[in-house]
Amino acid sequence: MQGRARKLEHRATAMTIVVALQALAAAFFLADLAGDLASEPADGHLIVEGIAAVALLISVVLGAIQIRHLVLAARADEAAVAVARGALAQLVQLRFAQWHLTPAEADVALFALKGCDVAEIATLRGAAAGTVRAQLARIYAKAGVASHTALLALFVEELIDTSLLHAAGTEGEKTA
Amino acid sequence: MTATTNTRRWDPVVKLTHWTIVAAILANAVITEEGSAAHVWVGYALAAILALRLLWGLIGPAEARFTAFPPSPVRALRHIGEIRRGEQAEHASHNPLGALMVYAIWSCLGVIIATGIAMAGFPPQGESHEEDRPAAYASAEYGEESEEGEEAREGGEGHEEDGMEELHEVAVNLLYLLIVLHIAGVVFETRRSGRQVVLAMLPRRR
Ligand code: HEM
Ligand code: HEM
Repeated sequence: MQGRARKLEHRATAMTIVVALQALAAAFFLADLAGDLASEPADGHLIVEGIAAVALLISVVLGAIQIRHLVLAARADEAAVAVARGALAQLVQLRFAQWHLTPAEADVALFALKGCDVAEIATLRGAAAGTVRAQLARIYAKAGVASHTALLALFVEELIDTSLLHAAGTEGEKTA
Repeated sequence: MTATTNTRRWDPVVKLTHWTIVAAILANAVITEEGSAAHVWVGYALAAILALRLLWGLIGPAEARFTAFPPSPVRALRHIGEIRRGEQAEHASHNPLGALMVYAIWSCLGVIIATGIAMAGFPPQGESHEEDRPAAYASAEYGEESEEGEEAREGGEGHEEDGMEELHEVAVNLLYLLIVLHIAGVVFETRRSGRQVVLAMLPRRR
């Protein structure tokens, strides 16, 4: 669920390595330049070298600013996902209660929402596939849906409605 | 030395610079031969990475900035009071004692780098020799020395290189002491707060 934040973090780390290498290069460049400046008068060649060194330093600074953006974006993303996750967890609890799911059914329904199929749920719960299939059928009936996908869509649809239209209360009941 | 809220970790720049600096210090203390070309190259690399961390202290995210952990003895004393009373305050960045330690380590590294470069010269080269030293450079070194004060003179003979060498060595030994205290501080804080202080500094696995 936090793929995007993770990806941003990875990019920030990769960028950090690049910027660190640039900083190393800049240090050696500057040291070399300082040595040359001390031993010979500044000529065209040294001026070009100096400009290159300054360019490298600027790219280090810009790279660092870029890293800051990536780090902050990853954190914002993480925070947004945490909020969404909290909201979804609340919604799931609320719906399960409204549908009067038994504890066992709630368990199965949660696995179903997480994307598990009948065989996987059966293994996870140490139950027979037939039992799980029967439980799923009761869950679908209580929720008023006909399929696994429709059950998932119920929650996705409600979340999208709440965040964008603020009209989930009425829209949400319009089941598949 | 405190990480922020239980799950917050240090950003990749703080982590990478920390462990690169640790590696560079280890390399120069244990592996490279004192004053050899390798020693000086590692030294320059250390300087570059430290500079990157200092830049990050100006433009990084809030908790990595200098403003997040000012070197304040007053706050450090207050923090000691907190520890005595067994209070647990959250710190967004380094705790006040940790902050003092960080600045002490950085200053120490600054002296080591300055004296090291003064001995090795530009461009990076190993064991330097007075005779092939450009004149402009030698005078720059005088400037250094007057700044570094009497300690440099202690080497006797009035020979500036000896002074630099002495200062380099003194600063290195001071750094070793600080590192021991630093690690002791990390261990102490981990025990005291029960927070995964070290984890916050490690690369994220998962
Ligand atoms: C923080 C990591 C470093 C450590 C632990 C370290 C350690 C040492 C030690 C123990 C010595 C021998 C001092 C003596 O007894 O004479 C030495 C010498 C030397 N160091 Fe470093 N050093 C470090 C960083 C640097 C840096 C950053 C530079 C330069 C860029 C540098 C350049 C030199 C030179 C040129 C000598 C030769 C002194 C001489 O014998 O003439 N070192 N270093
Ligand atoms: C050569 C030895 C070491 C040196 C010079 C050193 C130096 C530093 C410095 C300068 C910082 C401040 C980081 C920043 O804000 O950029 C720091 C933080 C930290 N170091 Fe080290 N360190 C060393 C070894 C270690 C080791 C071996 C550990 C692991 C046990 C460690 C764990 C930490 C932790 C956890 C922090 C964060 C402290 C906090 O949360 O406030 N360090 N270190």
